[in-house]
Amino acid sequence: MTYSAEAFQNEFLALGATEVNAIVTVTSSGGTGGLRTSGATEIIIVDASGSMQAEGRIAAARQAAKAAVACLDDGVHFALIAGVGTAQQLFPAPGQLAVASAQTRSEATWAIDRLHASGGTAMGAWLLLAAQLFAQRPGDIAHAIMLTDGDNGEREGYLQSVLDSIAGKFTVDSRGVGTNWKVSELRKIADAMLGTVDIVARPADLTAAFEQMMTAAMGKTAADVQLKVWTPVNATVRFVKQVEPQVADLTGKRVADGARAGRYPLGAWGAESRDYHVCVDVPPGTAGDEMLAARISVVEGDTVHTQALVRAVWTDDAALSTRINRQVAHYTGQAELADTIQAGIEARKAGDDHTATIKFGRAAQLAHESGNKATSELLATVVDIEDAATGTVRLRRKVAAADEMALDTRSTKTVRVGRGQ
Amino acid sequence: MTDCASCADERTAGATFCEVCGRSLAPEPACPHCGTPGGVGDDGYCEHCGMLAGRERDHLETDCGEVAASVTDRGLRHHRNEDAMWLTTRGTDVDVVVSDGVSSSFDPDVASLTAVQAAGELLVAGDVSAAIQAAQVAVAELAASGDPRRQASNPACTIVAATVRGDAVTVGWIGDSRAYWVPDVGPAEQLTEDDSWATHVIALGADPEQAMRDPKAHAITAWLGADAGKVAPRTGEFVVGDPGHLVLCSDGLWNYLTDAAAFAAAVREGLREQGTLISAARWLADYANTAGGADNITVALIPVSPAAAS
Repeated sequence: MTYSAEAFQNEFLALGATEVNAIVTVTSSGGTGGLRTSGATEIIIVDASGSMQAEGRIAAARQAAKAAVACLDDGVHFALIAGVGTAQQLFPAPGQLAVASAQTRSEATWAIDRLHASGGTAMGAWLLLAAQLFAQRPGDIAHAIMLTDGDNGEREGYLQSVLDSIAGKFTVDSRGVGTNWKVSELRKIADAMLGTVDIVARPADLTAAFEQMMTAAMGKTAADVQLKVWTPVNATVRFVKQVEPQVADLTGKRVADGARAGRYPLGAWGAESRDYHVCVDVPPGTAGDEMLAARISVVEGDTVHTQALVRAVWTDDAALSTRINRQVAHYTGQAELADTIQAGIEARKAGDDHTATIKFGRAAQLAHESGNKATSELLATVVDIEDAATGTVRLRRKVAAADEMALDTRSTKTVRVGRGQ
Repeated sequence: MTDCASCADERTAGATFCEVCGRSLAPEPACPHCGTPGGVGDDGYCEHCGMLAGRERDHLETDCGEVAASVTDRGLRHHRNEDAMWLTTRGTDVDVVVSDGVSSSFDPDVASLTAVQAAGELLVAGDVSAAIQAAQVAVAELAASGDPRRQASNPACTIVAATVRGDAVTVGWIGDSRAYWVPDVGPAEQLTEDDSWATHVIALGADPEQAMRDPKAHAITAWLGADAGKVAPRTGEFVVGDPGHLVLCSDGLWNYLTDAAAFAAAVREGLREQGTLISAARWLADYANTAGGADNITVALIPVSPAAAS
């Protein structure tokens, strides 16, 4: 696989300035001929709690799981977990992984027909069983799909302790069907496990969602890619965020690598491109000084695939130091957009209509300015946008739960801007 | 006895390369900013403090003995040297070019280097105007090559070029890099007229002192670059009657010596105190740095004498 990394920034700082911002675009060609550089293991977790009987959810989930199994490439290891009050392995035999072939795929399909909804919801236990199965295949691209329709029934704090123990070991894409699940709960899983979260409001749409997730997973060709950030002495990394295709704060996932560098996990990669916002605080320089504020490397184990340099150049020429880099400005706005929407939703739930109106107004303005049409449309389901340019909105009195949850889960989706300064 | 840090083989003191693994045993350069020994990485930045250890173009000298000398220096306030120079001699014939990159353009250092090379290579033919026009074409072409940001803010620079053939001097220029004639005795003369806002309004009758104090004073009205269109270089030629020095420089020097008399006094002091051309050129660059070093500094000194009376 070949990777490239490019830094976009205004390297010029005013005298006394110490904050350096850059957007780093990492692009990978994917594996040669689409071939993986390691094995792959897929685990599908389907909520089989009693509530799944409603609205024909369990039938739709069975169909979706079958569709996902059909997407598995030959040779990929896989398993199916039925999520109830405990975790029960649906396929293959407990503690085993199957190797995908025409025969195992059809055996899995028969097993899926045995999936019946009855029992509780124990996400921590489900993920723990998945972790045990993934542990049999170290070095594999490890990915799980988790479907649920309700609140986690485990004792407070248990899910978090499980996530702390399994974070970084595999990625989890979570989907909530219906509107009785909590966005915050699935977002916690997505954040910890470098995955995505989304709502599938109508059970009929589950098959398409599963196919899309499994196809994307099959496109991954490298298991564990990391962003290594070197900074000079007396400099500190303020944050490292993925900002495209969606906002994800990686700052807290830093693992030290020597005295002046840290590694941030990027998960599995295929042929794709993602953007990262890196912000570093450096000691101030004098006019004419040039400093390497950060050396950003894309690494896999000991292999350095590519590097990009983030520089700081101090100048007393205000014409240079006041230029705002378009990429940095754009993604700063996209991150604010996600935060503002989530703050607006919280305020609305708390009954604070005044704050909610201000937040949604600002969000409408940011989405409009940045051309994020998808987010603008989602906002329009929750508020009436009277003037997007000035951020004038009115709260809707009746908002469908599914619309608000869609806005919440998709608030972190970002758009790109055209390249160039 | 010292061990090779890479393969731990012992070797006799004084060897430059390890006998076993072939790695260099010479001490790695220390960082000029924080002093960390061996601190400078392959990309030129210190692995400890992150500061740029230095670039090749930060300070360059060309020493052609008694025939000519030139120095270019980053100065103190700019992070890189965007000036460039060209100096070649054949006997007492001299081709010389000085160019100053326009800081507000993208990759101005590439523009100036491209300009001096394109013009310098053609000066041997003796046609200063043609050489500058070739530089104009080469710099304009930069906009469509390399980094896409060059299209939004195309690389641009000034140029002053000269040939010396015996006692005949030809000068051509675009922008505000200058050439002076500094005779050993008598008043000096600025051979170029800046393509700048101040020069323009002074020519139209504005008060010179007031014009030079205007923030726009140094804004140049002609340059090399894709956005400059077709620019006709201005040229001048003369035959020297008395011995003296042809001096080419960028505004990093003349900004501190704006009138010709002060400029000539500094050149003469440098030549008198130093003894060699190269050390006098270095002395003039130091003079600008002592005065503040606000811009990149380039200066070339070429002694010219009248043809021996026959």
